Amino acid sequence: MRAKPIKIAATAAVLVVAFGGLLYSTLREGTEYYKHVDEVMADPAAWQGKRLQLHGFVVDDSIFVKPSTLEYRFKIQSNGKIVPARYTGVVPDTFKSGSEVVLKGRLGPDGFAVDPNGVMAKCPSKYEAGPAATKS
Amino acid sequence: MPALGTFLLLSTFVVCAYAVAASVAGARRRSERLIESGIGALYLIAALMTVASALMIHAFVTDNYAIKYVQRYSDSAQPLAYKIASYWGGLDGSIMFWVFLLSVFGSTAVKVNREKHRELIPWVVSVIAATEMFFIFLMVVHNNPFSTFLTPPPTDGRGLNPLLQNFYMAIHPPSLYTGFVAMTIPFAFGIAALATGHLDDAWLRAVRRWTMIGWLFLSFGLTLGMLWAYEELGWGGFWGWDPVENAGLLPWFTATAFLHSVMVQERRGMLRVWNVTLVILTFFLTIFGTFMTRSGVVQSVHAFGEDRELALLFTIFMVAILTTSFGLVIYRLPLLRGRHELDSWVSREAAFLVNNWILLFSAFFVLFATMFPTLSEALRGERLTVGPTFFNTWMLPIGLILLLLTGIGPLLAWRKSTIANLLQQFLWPSTGALTAIVALLAFGVRVWSSGICFALSAFVFVTIAQEFVRGARVRQRATGTDILTAMIGLVARSKRRYGGYIVHLGIVLIFLGFAGQGFKQEEQVVLKPAQQVTVGHFTVRHDGLAVTSDNQKQMITGHVSVFKDGKSLGVLEPARWFFNKHEDQPTTEVAIRRSGAEDVYVVLAGYDVASQSATYAITVNPLVNWIWIGFGVMAIGTGIALLPDIAFSFAIARIPSTATTSLLLLLLVFPAGLRAQHAENPQEVLTVPKSALERDLQKEIICMCGTCGRKRIGECTCARAARMREEVSTLVADGKSREDVYQYYIAKYGSQEPLASPINKGFNRLAWLFPYVLGTSGAVAVAFAAIRWSHRQVESPSTSVSVGINPELQARLDDELRDLD
Repeated sequence: MRAKPIKIAATAAVLVVAFGGLLYSTLREGTEYYKHVDEVMADPAAWQGKRLQLHGFVVDDSIFVKPSTLEYRFKIQSNGKIVPARYTGVVPDTFKSGSEVVLKGRLGPDGFAVDPNGVMAKCPSKYEAGPAATKS
Repeated sequence: MPALGTFLLLSTFVVCAYAVAASVAGARRRSERLIESGIGALYLIAALMTVASALMIHAFVTDNYAIKYVQRYSDSAQPLAYKIASYWGGLDGSIMFWVFLLSVFGSTAVKVNREKHRELIPWVVSVIAATEMFFIFLMVVHNNPFSTFLTPPPTDGRGLNPLLQNFYMAIHPPSLYTGFVAMTIPFAFGIAALATGHLDDAWLRAVRRWTMIGWLFLSFGLTLGMLWAYEELGWGGFWGWDPVENAGLLPWFTATAFLHSVMVQERRGMLRVWNVTLVILTFFLTIFGTFMTRSGVVQSVHAFGEDRELALLFTIFMVAILTTSFGLVIYRLPLLRGRHELDSWVSREAAFLVNNWILLFSAFFVLFATMFPTLSEALRGERLTVGPTFFNTWMLPIGLILLLLTGIGPLLAWRKSTIANLLQQFLWPSTGALTAIVALLAFGVRVWSSGICFALSAFVFVTIAQEFVRGARVRQRATGTDILTAMIGLVARSKRRYGGYIVHLGIVLIFLGFAGQGFKQEEQVVLKPAQQVTVGHFTVRHDGLAVTSDNQKQMITGHVSVFKDGKSLGVLEPARWFFNKHEDQPTTEVAIRRSGAEDVYVVLAGYDVASQSATYAITVNPLVNWIWIGFGVMAIGTGIALLPDIAFSFAIARIPSTATTSLLLLLLVFPAGLRAQHAENPQEVLTVPKSALERDLQKEIICMCGTCGRKRIGECTCARAARMREEVSTLVADGKSREDVYQYYIAKYGSQEPLASPINKGFNRLAWLFPYVLGTSGAVAVAFAAIRWSHRQVESPSTSVSVGINPELQARLDDELRDLD
């Protein structure tokens, strides 16, 4: 009988360590920093290559689309700091000059490369009217 | 009318308080009359809430815009059904709807169980009434759905968010709520059992059925949510690990775990602490889910309402739940000791145990990952987010292990499986899985993870088939009927067991749907007329654009022909709709061609009318429909398990009578054919506050345009609010303090009217304190009454559970009795 608590404790310890380790390693790959443009552009070199969710506003009249393709080039800013971005794919309806967006991707030397489907337009009141369990 | 509504809510609060006090006192004094009056009060609560709900619906139907809540979520043009659905469209109403459901469920549960579980009932009544008290308190002091405009009311409402004006959305929230609320009943019984010390298995029998009903509605709600996301939102998927979705999933995990582990306790008298814990956790998670999505602690791309006061009230309630419940568990630990130890790891109870750990782990993992951004911000000051990829890396293997256990569990014997019966049991299922693997390899299907999922599905499927066939054979031999009759008789004989297997079958189908996502193909293209693109087996040709309009909207419709292997499958018409008055918010109308094997899912992402070219996002979604069908099967299985014995006594040789209902349900869940869906992506950009003060002020100052119902300028979308936001911004930029800004507005409008709440100072402070004083004194009064009324008889209420003559003998007797089942 004495051995039982020890056994349980040992099993629990092994499980916790194993899962903790796994969690830690996957978290390192899976996490993205959630940053505003000005925070990142204060020290761009430090953020290059890291996975980011970049929060900012589309600079007015900065959106260019290559005709008959889905290649976009645009700029986003927050508090005066601007970063160019490029993206290929379909943009949300709300993506236009001045809109508040969150971009998923990585910062490179020549601007922010947005992941496929990485443009999310933030709409503060989108689900405001939703019930407690509204889906995304 | 609104005054009557508020009055009803207040009187319900009082009746709740009485129900708690009378029941607690009745239980302690053993006064039959007090207990009876407590039960009566609970019924009265249900009646009052029904009348209040009727009032609310009446207000919606008659367009009573004097009530803020009605004005906010309805308008005169809305169809009747959505006017009614608006009742639960917003926070205030959804809380009221919650209380209404709980009062009805609570009364039913008490009515059904009051004779069978007399000793538990007073405590059940008080737990239910106390929970209702909390929510009514919330409504009365914080979100009164009946609150009215002080100024002359607007002539029309603002309308329910068009995104929510959808068939699924009208029934999805009530379904999830029903699931959430039904979980309160097991919790109430659990607490009652703990409080009285009647911790034998009686309370479990009372709550199993409720948990099953709750579980069914929870599953139904989750499925509807997926279906809605799939058809409305136009991103081709159905589950994005959004905090709101996760909130519904968390209690589902623990409820599923409970439904399994409860069997272990019934048969073997083990896992008692565990079961009580699961019941408490499930209830806690339903509250936590509501809290998470409502208080703004978790942020996602989609902003929920941020509400600190609500967060505080919820936190207090949750802490109270946890401390009381687990305090009771610890207090009763001596009575909760199991009657048996685990005999062997190769046994069914061990499989259940592992299944429980994994389900609980899933719940904690999802909770952790959902809260991760908030946690990291609190701990490191840096907001780190985790995306769906992170969830998927973890939940994929977890899901597969659960699927494997679904197959293994039923094959193992209780107590201990011998080598011989392992061989006999595993032979066919393993053969099935191996065949599936060989076939998959031959077809060159990826092994990880879809391939494994298919193989496991085969394994589980054969397991279930084997259980049915073997059982039916035995019965056929015993009764001498044909195999089909024997099978129905078998299901009728042990409904829970075979109902459970049918649920497992549904799970297998759902997993097939998930596995299909591994083969999803997406393409985003710009097409000129007559140009085409091939996605998977399908060729999609753009035929042209049409611009039409009706009295509600202008529509840009893409005409697309779909071909498979050169054969035409018909025309799809994805569209964008521009509703009048909302021209800058086009809505995306997804066009789906459904089939059992693959869906073709076309979204018109962009267009150029002049050149007739269009941008399409095309997704081929294999097997996705099996998710909805799987749910239908699950519902049938649960229905069978829930049927009362009587239903089967005369239906034993016929098709169970619920089959028709379930079939209808299935049809409801699975609308076939092509349909353009309606979705709206409202857009608006608010000025982002540049400082904390500005952000606070945006929440503290009210838009004075007079038509938006005293919305905060931070959330109002009218032009006046935008001007006021800029005004605040400049004031703050000029270095004005909060007081200065307040004074500015008070001077400008001549009163405190532009302030969301009176300044928290001096005399005004009374207004702030009032609700809290009210709430606290209410609680004190209840406690006082309970103690006072139970004054005379202070002897210990717990009568210890009968220990029996000889524990060993009793255990054996119980075991044998159970095996008869």
